[in-house]
Amino acid sequence: MRGVTCGHGRVVAVDGVDLEVAAGERVALTGTNGSGKSTLLRTVLGLHRHTAGTVLVGGRGTASAADRAWRRRACAWVPQKPAVGRFPLLAGELLDSGGAPERAAEAARALGVGALRRRPLDTLSGGQLQRMYLARAIGCVAAGAGVLLADEPTAALDFAGQEEAAEALMALPVTVVVVTHDRALAERCDRVLDMAAGRLREVAR
Amino acid sequence: MNVLATADLGLMLQLVPVQRAGFALLLAAVGLPIVGVVIVGLDIMPVRFAMMHVALLGVAVGLLTGLDPMLCALVACALAGAGVAPLARTPDGLSGAMGLLMSMAIAAALLVLSVSGVNASGAFALLWGSILSVGGADLVVVGVLAVVVPALFWWRRRDLALLLYDRELAQCSGVRVGPLTVVLLVLVAVAVAGAIKLTGALLVDALTLLPALAARRLGKRLTTIALWAVAIGVAVNVTGFLIALWLDWPPGPVLVLTAGAVVLAVHLIPERSITSCPPPAPAAASSSSR
Repeated sequence: MRGVTCGHGRVVAVDGVDLEVAAGERVALTGTNGSGKSTLLRTVLGLHRHTAGTVLVGGRGTASAADRAWRRRACAWVPQKPAVGRFPLLAGELLDSGGAPERAAEAARALGVGALRRRPLDTLSGGQLQRMYLARAIGCVAAGAGVLLADEPTAALDFAGQEEAAEALMALPVTVVVVTHDRALAERCDRVLDMAAGRLREVAR
Repeated sequence: MNVLATADLGLMLQLVPVQRAGFALLLAAVGLPIVGVVIVGLDIMPVRFAMMHVALLGVAVGLLTGLDPMLCALVACALAGAGVAPLARTPDGLSGAMGLLMSMAIAAALLVLSVSGVNASGAFALLWGSILSVGGADLVVVGVLAVVVPALFWWRRRDLALLLYDRELAQCSGVRVGPLTVVLLVLVAVAVAGAIKLTGALLVDALTLLPALAARRLGKRLTTIALWAVAIGVAVNVTGFLIALWLDWPPGPVLVLTAGAVVLAVHLIPERSITSCPPPAPAAASSSSR
């Protein structure tokens, strides 16, 4: 990422961020609410448009439709607030959407939500939903994603669940960028970056 | 009295326009409720009002130029559907765009009608529909919809389920959200325009939205919702049409009232007896207030 700037309307959310993450590196993004962490992650996914700067993943930008499709396959995503949609979606359909249904189902079982496959997502609790998304992301990795972008993946979980989820995340053989307020999770990462008012700074460890 | 009435019904069913109308309604019941499911899923209820106005503009242009008014209405709706697609990034954006489209289309329609000096009642007859005057071209339109809509739905059901649940999730799952939205909106627009002839623009809901609303309550996933919608659509169209013939009432309003009664009846079924795993109390409260 070089000089990445983006905003919501006229409010600048991310202000000239430079960040280079090596392959296989695990980076924690911390910072106060509203400091632009989620927007930065969403920009990498192409869900939020940046007004300046460049974002490359694996050396590729998002100029063409093929590039954008590649980016979406390359990045697994755990959203911050999983949307509860207008239409019911079964948990199993969510797991399958990651591209590796069997691996995702296995991960769901390991995370204790394997029995909920037939349930619509809007009947799951926040923590169960977060585990489902985590299992889906593990499926994405099995389907070939090399980067995991997780936005507060443990926020809705109980203490044991946080530990389990952190374990599952860190065991993945991929580049991880995780937005978190969970100190234990941040400490497991190779680098911790702090974001404030749209700017990024490395935290000495 | 009853015997007399059923005898009448038997006689009437031998009339070609009646057979044709019944056939058109059956065909419509296959494709249009699925379109209704998409309308409910994308949360674009105003779309049908907007398309109704656009169809009127199409008819006005048709009357002015001497082309087939119904064809002009279809084309106008298809173009309008594709035109508003870029605004579909947020549901709010789309609803707003529909409002704008609606006012501009009706204003343009009135202007075209008045400038050209044609008799406006021809255009406004469209608002009431005339199912017994369904022609061969109308049959072709609903027939094509009855094949294309379910086929497309089945082919893209996984993508659709993700898109209707959450646009961003769909995007991240590799669904080509933009093109799919354009196709859906064009389909919705064309289907609404096609259905106008059957029930009239004001009553298009009977064929599209109302079965979908009842089905939304009965199904637990997109495919079961669509199946329920089609089943309810067929049942409503057949019973509504027969009741209308039997009592010699206008079919459009009878169809809408039948469909509306089904929606009400379905909503009276307690939610717990529908879902095998009852949702927790907060979820139940939010879904019933929707």
